Amino acid sequence: MRHLYLAYAGRRTGQAIVVVLLTYVVTFLAISVLPGDPVTSTLRNPENGFSEEEIARIVSYYGLDQPVAVQLWQALSRFLVGDLGVSMRTNLPVAQLVGAVVGSTLVLAASALAVALVLAGAIAYGAHRFPWAPGRSLLRSLPSFFLSVPTFVIGLVLIYVFAFDLGLFRVIEPDSAWATFFAALTLGVPVSAQLAEVLIAGLDHEAQQEYTSVARSRGLGEARLYLRHLLKPSSLPVVTVLALTVGELLGGAVITETIFGRTGIGSLVQRSVSTQDLPVLQAVVALAAVVFVVVNLAADLLYPLLDPRVRRVGSARSGAGVGAVGAGSAGVGSVGAGTPDGELESADVLAAFVADEQLAAVGDSAIEVPLEERVRVS
Amino acid sequence: MSRTTASPTRLTALRRRARGLATTAVAALAATGLLAACATASGDAGAASSGSAGDASADAAGGEPQQGGDLVFLIDSLGDTWIPNNSAISSFQGQVWGHVTDKLVYVDDAGQVSPWVAESWEQNEDATQFTLHLRDGVTFSDGTPVDAAAVVANLDVWAKGDPDKGINPIGLFPKTYQSATAQDASTVVVTFSAPTLGFIPTLGYHGSILISPTTLALSGEEQADLSNDIGSGPFVVKSWKEGDSVVLERRDDYDWGPEALEHTGPAYLDTITYKIVAESSLRTSSVTAGQADVAYNAPPQELDGLAAQGFVIATPRYLGFVNGYAIDATVAPFDDPKVRQAFQHAIDRDEILSTVYTYDWLPAESFIQSNVPEATDHSADFAHDADLAASLLDEAGWTLGSDGVRSKDGTPLAVTLYPNPYLATSKAVDELVAQQLTDLGFAVDIQAYDVVTYGEKVIKNTTPIALTEITRSFIDVGTVASILTSANKGEDWFGVGETDTELNRLRDEVAGAVDTDSRAASVDELQGYVLQQGYFVPLTQIVQRIYVQNPALHGVTYNGIAYANYSAAWLEQ
Repeated sequence: MRHLYLAYAGRRTGQAIVVVLLTYVVTFLAISVLPGDPVTSTLRNPENGFSEEEIARIVSYYGLDQPVAVQLWQALSRFLVGDLGVSMRTNLPVAQLVGAVVGSTLVLAASALAVALVLAGAIAYGAHRFPWAPGRSLLRSLPSFFLSVPTFVIGLVLIYVFAFDLGLFRVIEPDSAWATFFAALTLGVPVSAQLAEVLIAGLDHEAQQEYTSVARSRGLGEARLYLRHLLKPSSLPVVTVLALTVGELLGGAVITETIFGRTGIGSLVQRSVSTQDLPVLQAVVALAAVVFVVVNLAADLLYPLLDPRVRRVGSARSGAGVGAVGAGSAGVGSVGAGTPDGELESADVLAAFVADEQLAAVGDSAIEVPLEERVRVS
Repeated sequence: MSRTTASPTRLTALRRRARGLATTAVAALAATGLLAACATASGDAGAASSGSAGDASADAAGGEPQQGGDLVFLIDSLGDTWIPNNSAISSFQGQVWGHVTDKLVYVDDAGQVSPWVAESWEQNEDATQFTLHLRDGVTFSDGTPVDAAAVVANLDVWAKGDPDKGINPIGLFPKTYQSATAQDASTVVVTFSAPTLGFIPTLGYHGSILISPTTLALSGEEQADLSNDIGSGPFVVKSWKEGDSVVLERRDDYDWGPEALEHTGPAYLDTITYKIVAESSLRTSSVTAGQADVAYNAPPQELDGLAAQGFVIATPRYLGFVNGYAIDATVAPFDDPKVRQAFQHAIDRDEILSTVYTYDWLPAESFIQSNVPEATDHSADFAHDADLAASLLDEAGWTLGSDGVRSKDGTPLAVTLYPNPYLATSKAVDELVAQQLTDLGFAVDIQAYDVVTYGEKVIKNTTPIALTEITRSFIDVGTVASILTSANKGEDWFGVGETDTELNRLRDEVAGAVDTDSRAASVDELQGYVLQQGYFVPLTQIVQRIYVQNPALHGVTYNGIAYANYSAAWLEQ
């Protein structure tokens, strides 16, 4: 039993490493086919007055005149021994650059996630329990509204009102508590919309179940009913969306970071993309791949805890449990394949079916449709 | 304090008048031959430049400077690498370097050279050897003296770079540089392979910053950490964070500022914080909300509104070329001088100024900015005159078709404009120019590229491009000689190679001049010739660095490359 799980874990880890390496290589190739490089672009600014000959000398110092295959090999062999290289834009070690911004990004992502969860929970609960019908439908339309307002509009409005008019924080101190809160709000609002949307749908579904009527008829209070009985099964798709969102929060906060003057992964990526700073981009993309793999694995492991049906099938036969986890992760668009042994075993199929049904609970399922879309459809 | 009641618009007007006066003063000096003295003797002409450095004195006239205060300067970017002397010093990093480091000479916004770390200098008769006498007692902030050995080490890096560390030379440093030697602890002798009048002014360029030899000995990676970069300037780096901010603090024992600034001691300000705020409206709003003191690079359209609210707008011009098009005279239809001249006369510069810019911008009077000491007014050669332009095109055989496009032997009169991605307003200007040309019967296409694509398609073009938009600063007018033709690795802006004998003659005169007087005469002749031949189409004088400022900030000066200097600035508290 145990060795089966270990084998599974080993395979998953191996797959994860392959994914990260492939990401590294693909990033390299994608950027290499673009014309230009960071060194040349900077030097060509007419204000510098360099001749093409002088530029060529510096370009060759950075090895940028070498064939792509040679450059790739050098980058890859460095990466394999844990050396992320030196940024071409800043001449600083990539590890130092990334290390300097990770903290700010984690703080922002964590606070944005907290804001998003609180908002989503409040909206979803309100959409069901608000005492006034028009208020409920207003709350139901809030997620679409949140999603349709561009982040920079939210950010700018918050800054103008709370920083410039009310003086709660200063633009030059982006790490102060208030500045972080409003940045988290800016980033968390659109995320809360996605979460609220699936949570409302989940609650809608659960509220129509027979056990709900039974619970009500036995006199269970509404608050208790929602919190104790409906929330748990409804939060399965929320966990899936969360897993997808965490990656987004860590790498995609460019706009929020730019507006609030925060220096995080997003703004580092933005500066690196605009100057084609390959070593930094490769490192960040590899880091993002690691985060996605880890977070999705965590989400997979969480499913059985939230839904006893997955757990039951899992305990019926250990291999099936593994299969359920694998299927879950396939649903999230990650690396895990449904069948650990490469051939379909009946229990695996069953487990995959059960896991998939959980997803089907929130919308029509079709394996090929990315989960995100399926969730939206609902 | 009384001054603060004067409206910023009036301040700008005053400033402009001061600038005008300075230019007149310079012209007068030049006429009496005194100007030459500044290259040979110790640069007494610095006294004349105080008129233009008077921006500061005019502002500061409000009261006695106050000690202390923290200046917050919001900036769109802090550039890329911090390896000093890496010469690709951006318009952003130059702001920081100017406070952390000193230069050998000071060049003010009228192009006047005056002593700084070099307290005097001489040159030999054919301007191939210069002797610099260094001021005593100047030290880097790590305690090492700014002596002859340190200056030689710096000169070598500026001229040759450090190829083993991937460090470039300074782009505009004279290519005729041979060597520098320390004659004694405070005397440096520099030799060139040909007359190089531009050498002394180049020492005031924003790339020519004096860095401690300890720093220069570090690896590229270590030099890229700003905390390791030791200068001798009035401020030192307190902290910095890549892509975020740089905080400078006053160096209390600083006592060797340029005399031209009239305040040579330690700075009044305690700290200067350069903080990146990428969004331009947030930069200006932070200043109007009192959260910051200076916002860099505001869009020109916002300036009038900000001035009306009482904020000080500074639009210093750098020394250099004006914004305009260099025409490749080998590319049809511009191989005909009449077409080039028609292009020049077709452009309505006032419309560009009033549409894209504000009245702080000035129309071009030549192909170099009018604050360059050698610039002369040639605006008559390319004045807006649509009728003249039309008749020139008629004479050249380009007849107007029914579709409003001129053609000759079945070929339409077509031209493509490539806006310069390094200048934010370039596209708007090109759109206006396109309208003006279309009215005259040109078929105009605009191709706007980002920096990378522009580099591939325009700068490194394989087929010659008819019009290249120019924005470039220089500190010495001698630079002009290197762009005219293809000789001596010249940039050959007009595509004529060495075929234009008159251009060759003028190039040699400017490049080989041994005194500034004779060179000024050649430069005047050169400006007339280039413009009459229609090789260059000037648009407007260029302001690439715009400052929106808290009115409580006084004593700011701008040097010849339009960088703000806060070594004598103070905040009213």
